Amino acid sequence: MKIKLTSIMVDDQDKALRFYTGVFGFAKKHEIPVGEYKWLTVVAPERDDLELSLEPNVNPAAKAFQEAMFRQAIPLAAFEVDDIEAEVRRLKAAGVGFTTDVTRMGPVTIAVCSDTCGNLIQLYQPAKGT
Amino acid sequence: MRASIAFASLCRSRDLLRGAHDRRVSIRQAAAAAGMSPFHFIRRFRAVFGETPHQCRTRARIDRAKRLLATSDRSVTDVCLDVGFTSLGSFSDLFARRVGVAPSAYRRRVRARVASSDGVCAPGCLTLMAAAFATFEKRGRPVAGRLPP
Repeated sequence: MKIKLTSIMVDDQDKALRFYTGVFGFAKKHEIPVGEYKWLTVVAPERDDLELSLEPNVNPAAKAFQEAMFRQAIPLAAFEVDDIEAEVRRLKAAGVGFTTDVTRMGPVTIAVCSDTCGNLIQLYQPAKGT
Repeated sequence: MRASIAFASLCRSRDLLRGAHDRRVSIRQAAAAAGMSPFHFIRRFRAVFGETPHQCRTRARIDRAKRLLATSDRSVTDVCLDVGFTSLGSFSDLFARRVGVAPSAYRRRVRARVASSDGVCAPGCLTLMAAAFATFEKRGRPVAGRLPP
């Protein structure tokens, strides 16, 4: 058994594709129309065997869940970065909204931003050597 | 970890704009509720929610209209007024542009779909994968997570 795919719900797949590629800097891997929606996945440019599916959030139950988590400022995904200070500076310059600025939490340094599609995303930089 | 106070204010102001408290609120009022100038409010709102306060309010109105058209017997004019529009013409135009069909056609379509009960209104999302790869297979392309050539 392998973990090759994970997913995040987004309120609009086209908007999400623009944000996840244009702002976060991931690369599109699949974009296959399925009825009204798409099978849409992105990958990190340096590692294309781990896919993140950008799922259409149309189920009312899922919407309620996503919104409640957002309101409580709880991130629904976390992406690792090499240099969190630089990454946060870059994203802020691109207009990204942060709910938690760069914060040291023990061995890890984090920051939390909005993906503009209904989710908060935690960026983290592990301590060197972990 | 604690999110900023501004973030909580933005969430509350979005509720106001979406009519969650059943009040008609202007952008200026929503900004004041968040304790921000309208300019600052619009900029912050967009960074967090991916759309302007105005777009958010319009989308919420259209969503409510869709729900009412699908589930109630209110006339299109009543639905238009219920959700906060004042002109039937501009409501119908806007609805058609956003949804792809006029309000009355939308109502017929949704009811036909529910009646036939074979249409999936809210797909479990990872279930899209099977259909997507089936499409791939039909076109004779590689399947199972490989990139198309």
